[in-house]
Amino acid sequence: MDENQTNTPMPRRRVLCIEDEHFIGELYQRALTKGGYDTTIEIDGKKGLQLAQTGNYDIILLDLMVPTITGIEILRSLRDPKQTPNLKAKIIITTNLEQRDEIRDDIERHADGYIIKAEITPRELVKFLDNIS
Amino acid sequence: MEQLKLFSGQVRRHLLTILIANNLVIFVGWWMGQRWFNLDFNSLFISLLIVALIDSILFSLTSTYILTKPIKLVAQAILHISPDEGGVAAPEQSATSLGKDMVSKLCNEIYRIANVAQTVSADNAAAMPDLRTNFIANRLPLPLIVLSKKLDIIFANEAALKYLRYSAEDITGKSVYSALDLSFTTTDTFDTWYSQAKTNSVAADHFWRRVRLKLADQKTPVLFDLAAYYNKDNSSGYEILLTMFDHTHEYSQDEQAMNFVALAVHELRTPLTLLRGYIDALDEELSNQLSSEQADFLKKMEASAQQLSAFVSNILNVSRVDNDQLLFKLSKEDWADIVTAAANDMSLQAQLRGIKLTLQIQPNLPPVGVDRVTVYEVLINLLDNAIKYSDKSKEIIIKSSLTKDGFVETTVQDFGIGVPEAIMTNLFDKFYRSHRNVLRVGGTGLGLYLSKAIISGHGGNIWVRSKEGQGSAFSFTVLPFSRLADEQKNKDNGDIIRSAHGWIKNHSYYRR
Repeated sequence: MDENQTNTPMPRRRVLCIEDEHFIGELYQRALTKGGYDTTIEIDGKKGLQLAQTGNYDIILLDLMVPTITGIEILRSLRDPKQTPNLKAKIIITTNLEQRDEIRDDIERHADGYIIKAEITPRELVKFLDNIS
Repeated sequence: MEQLKLFSGQVRRHLLTILIANNLVIFVGWWMGQRWFNLDFNSLFISLLIVALIDSILFSLTSTYILTKPIKLVAQAILHISPDEGGVAAPEQSATSLGKDMVSKLCNEIYRIANVAQTVSADNAAAMPDLRTNFIANRLPLPLIVLSKKLDIIFANEAALKYLRYSAEDITGKSVYSALDLSFTTTDTFDTWYSQAKTNSVAADHFWRRVRLKLADQKTPVLFDLAAYYNKDNSSGYEILLTMFDHTHEYSQDEQAMNFVALAVHELRTPLTLLRGYIDALDEELSNQLSSEQADFLKKMEASAQQLSAFVSNILNVSRVDNDQLLFKLSKEDWADIVTAAANDMSLQAQLRGIKLTLQIQPNLPPVGVDRVTVYEVLINLLDNAIKYSDKSKEIIIKSSLTKDGFVETTVQDFGIGVPEAIMTNLFDKFYRSHRNVLRVGGTGLGLYLSKAIISGHGGNIWVRSKEGQGSAFSFTVLPFSRLADEQKNKDNGDIIRSAHGWIKNHSYYRR
């Protein structure tokens, strides 16, 4: 296994992680920073949406259960051209919640990736992002 | 009613006239007997008695005829329109001396009602011309829906309209697919049954459990058992009868239990994420400073945490299988890619036991039609078993190839302790493990049960060949995407919904 090998993409890509579980945010920030990403953690849903809409990020990691508004609402707003024109960022759902069929459709239509957090380690997450162009 | 009052007056006048006339006859008879014929008292009495008797009979006969004539005419009108009394002519409404207006009014009323009834049954169904059938159908305490040969709804009884919260106009004449959003628990849907029934049978019936229907005005679905009766080219036009037996309450309790499992799984996963995250961080920080034993401990922690998270997902999926809620979305995937990813993910666990995973994937396999997430779990489960039961053997072979009959077959072969023959048949049941191995091998006994449900849901097969002491080979098949696509000519998108016991949208097969 090549776990210790870290790819450093040039230039550094920017990740916004909307995640309310403090320790998970901490672990992801640590691994992503080491893996060569500029990382911002935001625990609040509404603020997370505003940050995402600035267009300053290449990748958005989106938890589905965050305070103030749900991850699905954030996802819909980001994919609605009226609310968020020209969003170039890739959106990856990171959750531990099993999806009901209604929102599974939304996720499949709007998100670029879907990760169950319990099934991936922080370093595997970095590798996952490295493979997203 | 004006005409009835008029008739009463006529009857009153008629009776009055008759009675006065009757009395007058007796009185005149008495006067004439005394004056002209000089009859003595006895002769006079007897003569008058005879006269009174005769005229009473005459008057009562004529009165009966005159007074019952209107009733006869009305009765004749009713019999005239009754379907069972063919041949009764329409009454001549003016043939009565009393109550002409009333008779005419009542007859016209009767014809009007009959006309309405005829129009109603013509609208409601060419299929339901008989008013009595309609009556019975509407008082049947079960929802009943009648479909035409084209699968249009031609009749829904009152119980059905109430249950589905539709008005008759909402659904009558519409295709059953557009009016009723039915979902079934297996590929045995209404549609597959009907296509078979109409080619193979003159009459057929069928019963489905746990059918789900989303109501137009409501978010929560109703859940029921569905019974159908099919009669080919029925002369009265009703090809299919559908009856529903509501079980919304009990079936949704199962769903609540399911929601609890989903909640518990979520709660378990959060600390697991952290556990795996911090082990990962420790491993990274300490990898150069640990003794080989310490590094081994850390690897074992990591592998156990990974195993636990796989197990947590298994619990959820088993509960979905048991509650008929496991849903697969079959997409076009590269099979070699999925097998390689699963093998890579299990390589850590294998390494810990010194086992080498060997991949033998036939090049240029056709793209397969699978639900990547769940089929990946099957591979993980089989690899996990192979590693656990490898004992002292050091190799596991994963083979994938295209079979002669066009399936993609994958085998996970270990050379470990094997499966005792006695339990081979029960191996894919829930909680079945070789009792002799319980002490040596951990695990939940859910993996093979789940794997079977998933592979069946994909339209494939799973089986095992094993010899005690020589190892086991678990094999399963999945379908190339092109074959699934053939199966679903009417599909309207690239994905196909299938399930083990999950919900299947009837109209995902047929959308018109």
